[in-house]
Amino acid sequence: MVSIPPVLLIAFPLFFAFLAPLINMVSKKAVKPYTLFVLLLNSLFAILLFLEVQSNSVVYEQLSGFYPPIGILLSVGYIGAILAVVINVLAMVVYISYFGDVENSVKFSMIYMLVTASSTGIVITGDLFNMFVFFEITAVGSYGLVASMRTKKAFEGAFKYIVLGSVGSSFILLGIATIYGYLKTLNFYDIAARINTMPETARLMAFIFLLIGIGVEAEIFPLNGWVPDAYEGSSNRVASFLSLGPSKAGIYAIIRLLFTLVPIMSGFTLALILGIFTLVIGELAALKQKDVKRMLAYSSIGQMGLILIAISMHSKFAFIAAVFLMVSHALAKSLLFLGTRNYDAGTLKNPWIAGPIFIGVLSIIGMPPFPGFWGKWYLMLNLAAEGLWSIILIVVFAAVVEGVYYARFLFKGTGSDARSITKSEVAAIFLLAIMLVLIGIFPQYLYTPAVKAAASLLGGGP
Amino acid sequence: MTYELLQPVFVISMALIAIGLYGVMSKKNILKIILSIGIMDTGVNILIVAMGYIPGGTAPIENGNYPVYMDPVPQALVLTAIVIGVSVTALALAVAMGYYRKTGTLELDDEGVMKW
Repeated sequence: MVSIPPVLLIAFPLFFAFLAPLINMVSKKAVKPYTLFVLLLNSLFAILLFLEVQSNSVVYEQLSGFYPPIGILLSVGYIGAILAVVINVLAMVVYISYFGDVENSVKFSMIYMLVTASSTGIVITGDLFNMFVFFEITAVGSYGLVASMRTKKAFEGAFKYIVLGSVGSSFILLGIATIYGYLKTLNFYDIAARINTMPETARLMAFIFLLIGIGVEAEIFPLNGWVPDAYEGSSNRVASFLSLGPSKAGIYAIIRLLFTLVPIMSGFTLALILGIFTLVIGELAALKQKDVKRMLAYSSIGQMGLILIAISMHSKFAFIAAVFLMVSHALAKSLLFLGTRNYDAGTLKNPWIAGPIFIGVLSIIGMPPFPGFWGKWYLMLNLAAEGLWSIILIVVFAAVVEGVYYARFLFKGTGSDARSITKSEVAAIFLLAIMLVLIGIFPQYLYTPAVKAAASLLGGGP
Repeated sequence: MTYELLQPVFVISMALIAIGLYGVMSKKNILKIILSIGIMDTGVNILIVAMGYIPGGTAPIENGNYPVYMDPVPQALVLTAIVIGVSVTALALAVAMGYYRKTGTLELDDEGVMKW
């Protein structure tokens, strides 16, 4: 089998992103097929890497000729490989919807490739500062994507995103400084091996700084005020991309922080509390919304809260649930954001659009046989087994609220955008719906890697 | 002993971070918010550079006459952070221009950026 060096997943789209303006000078029409080709190849690399990780466990790569801990290390664990595939494949599928669009901008394609590369970078890096740099590339690219509509709402959303993103990056830097001040290292495994030599308060402080900072991208309370405005101001395609790429990379960083970097019990408790806040506030706010994009954005916040609750349970089944919820959220939310561009009650008569949207909604509210159901099911089983009935009540309450506003959305529609949906958008929506159905019917293909990821993380490994 | 020497630096950087955070949370004017972000960044950068301080050290260039030198890693980190900060500020100003062209004002129209 071909062995793919992990650095290719970052370097390849990065290089071709900056080549895109040259392609644009030769032929304006070539930019979209070119970008799709780059994203397709990168998805292929991600899948090959995933298969390699599945058969030989973790893949490491040392960069720039220095041995770790001084040199930068890339390490692709089970969960990193799963998310690399999710981010790259879905970024490609969502890009398909760009074909046949009147708007034709090389800048959009460039930033799209950059954000894909850096989101992938977050999930495969093994170095704390490297992760910070990828976070910044992801964030700056996303600011640009949000502002690309050039409306008042777009600028407002982008500005809020920039401000909270900068505050978040300062917090990440503070966390890095705290860890570096004590341990003089930035390598994940070196930190993990010696984190216990840090004083308890310093560990907790580093954890809180990093959690708040990463929480901006992961849409976690308290610094997620940008989410509704940025999603409302951006085009449906960008909203769709943001909910599958940067937010998943953010959740990955939280997993890494909780399980590898600073594995303290108070950290898990804190993450659980933040998760509950995020879930309840997000779902209740979604219930009030009139605009469909805002509703979906608040629903995204709620979903991220649920994922955070599952992760912070620190148990095998809950982690498997988190993996299913992440995949369900990435697929279904990007589908809904793309599909709602022209969804109103009248569209229900058009089965080509209504069908996939129905599947997406069913997966999000947790109906069988879709991945969202498996996620919520495993989470409930785990919560019941541990006797955490209060959390079960909260999760069920949130699910009911979710059901109410999604039902309202399905039957009343929104009609927020007058433009009609293009053929390529229908194609992208269909691909996403087919993936949702396939993973829902054959959950074992996601279950097996998820079990390996959970076992590896709970054992203190990557 | 190192940390006693560094205490004033810690105080200054914490003060800068607090001022920046206060500005971000309480101001409505876009330019003031961008300035506050800059102040906060500076505070964090000062803190990180101070982390690499070694008493009596020189610049981190290998030289037989001066065997003691500062920790080069925080300096490299801060350089990266400064570059990122500058580009984010530039982007924020560009967005501020766009906002001004659309609305004719630089004031955010609700309770600033912390509104949910």
